[in-house]
Amino acid sequence: MEDLPRYSKMISIKNVSKSLGDFFLKDITLDIEAGSYFMVLGPTGAGKTILLEAISGIYRPDSGGIWLEEKEITNIPPRERNISMVYQDYMLFPHLTVEKNIGFGLNPGKTPREEIHLRITNIANMLHIHHLLHRFPGTLSGGEKQRIAIARAVVTEPKALLLDEPLSALDTQTREILREELIRIHRKTGITIVHVTHNFEEVFSLGDSVAVMNEGKIVQVGTPDEVFRRPRSEFVANFVGIENLFKGKSTVDNGTSAISVDGTRIVSTVCKTGDSVISIRPEDILVSRNKIESSARNSFNGTIENIIDKGTTIKIVVDCGIPFAAVITRKSFDDMGLGKGVSAHLTFKASDVHFI
Amino acid sequence: MAKRRNISTIKCISIFFSLLLAFFILVQIVCVVTHTTLPALITSICSKEMQFAIELSLLTSIISTILCIIVSVPTAYALARYDFFGKSLINTILDAPLALPPLVAGVGLLILFGTTPFGKTMADAGLAFVFTPLGIVVAQFFVNVPFMFRILRGTFQGINPRYEHVAQTLGCTELQAFWRVTLPMAKNGLLAGSIITWSKGIGEFGAALMLAGATRMKTETLPISLYLNMSCGELNLAIAAATILIVISLGSLFIFEKYGGFAKVF
Repeated sequence: MEDLPRYSKMISIKNVSKSLGDFFLKDITLDIEAGSYFMVLGPTGAGKTILLEAISGIYRPDSGGIWLEEKEITNIPPRERNISMVYQDYMLFPHLTVEKNIGFGLNPGKTPREEIHLRITNIANMLHIHHLLHRFPGTLSGGEKQRIAIARAVVTEPKALLLDEPLSALDTQTREILREELIRIHRKTGITIVHVTHNFEEVFSLGDSVAVMNEGKIVQVGTPDEVFRRPRSEFVANFVGIENLFKGKSTVDNGTSAISVDGTRIVSTVCKTGDSVISIRPEDILVSRNKIESSARNSFNGTIENIIDKGTTIKIVVDCGIPFAAVITRKSFDDMGLGKGVSAHLTFKASDVHFI
Repeated sequence: MAKRRNISTIKCISIFFSLLLAFFILVQIVCVVTHTTLPALITSICSKEMQFAIELSLLTSIISTILCIIVSVPTAYALARYDFFGKSLINTILDAPLALPPLVAGVGLLILFGTTPFGKTMADAGLAFVFTPLGIVVAQFFVNVPFMFRILRGTFQGINPRYEHVAQTLGCTELQAFWRVTLPMAKNGLLAGSIITWSKGIGEFGAALMLAGATRMKTETLPISLYLNMSCGELNLAIAAATILIVISLGSLFIFEKYGGFAKVF
């Protein structure tokens, strides 16, 4: 194999602005590492889709520039960029068979027919849609359609794959399977993926890096952990929530899992081994001044490091080695005499520890 | 207490009216078709004059339909996809021929091609539209182009532009994306539009009469033939023309209903 030049940055976006009526981008600057799985998180209407459409070349920015492997592509039409895009509603061509859909981007004039056939077969096998090749898209399920859309995008061996909420329209089970599939494709092909979502769980389970967007602007960039642990603005904090998401290694023993998160051991009734992401709802955590004897398997002591007033309820963040968020009523907050720097006990049941 | 029946008055009355209307339409059609005997009908259809009328009708309507397609595809695409200055005004103008009586459109065309320098230049260049079969094509085109345009505009509006976006990221130019994706996806609308335009073209009378006139064996399409033969008492020939027009209309309606259910004409 010849040595290809390695670029650390696959996509660089510098000061890009674009206005399309209600949707807009405002002075976006972003670097996306080659081979990374980059997430873009934001609420509906944040401009996430336009960002992808600007990267793929469908809309030219009003100002600013975009670079692919250090070559400027701001004014290059989409077909010459070698960047593929998958929309949330699949956009499979209804008048073509699955095979023709996947092969749409392979030009029979440039690539020999046998090779086209081979590449379609390979990608179809990889995504488990080989049995669908002769069907038309109309009657297929959402999961099948999304696989075909991904196959169609990947088969041209693009430099980057842009995914616009690829999992949002699917049911929970299909979403789970397809998420694993995306991880597999990313590992196998090493392709740079930019994945747009409004679901922070996806960010945690898929992304190497994440950019949070709001009202057409990037409000924070970092690893998922950084963004969740240290939200830099109130918007990020509220949007991602300090939802007790933890990454750790899980081991199963005697019908329960023990998840080690930075040295803290959390017990769950769900049995799963290996690298995992777990969550505990802040409402499920019992707060007390002194240790409570109970059947609950998880009990920690820590110091209150942050207090967020939400009106009738109050959210406190307690540092027990790792930060836990808990929600209590204003009355219990006052009755217990809690405050910043005060020590508190947290107790929650193993059955309230969920895997993501 | 009276026994409660599960029959609503409004249901009965409304269904009665729909049956009455359907019956009336059917009687009308049956009257035309059964006015002569079958052998007489066949003889009439085989007559030289009727053969001429059929051929001229087919030729002019097919040419005018093709012209309607060629002009409507880009027009409908522009008005479905893009925002530009004067768009709503253009939409209104393009719809106008629908509301205009064909006779009035015919007068307009006659004045345009018969009296203006533009018409004279065209005639000098060999394109004479006044009292010629070419005039029939032009009359059919102007009266029927809104049908094709409206159906296609609705069809293109119903196709998400993101299909083209995806095609472009997969190596297509804008034109290729349109050709390979949008146009095939618009197939049903195109078919429905062509059928309705063609069938309206075959039946076009008012504007054609004004611009192309009613000259036997020259500008004699089926409707013109019906009119000419009716006026001079050749009832069998008139009925033959009418019967053919009925068959074409009903056939077109059937195909249109089957493929064009989604398209809005009005």
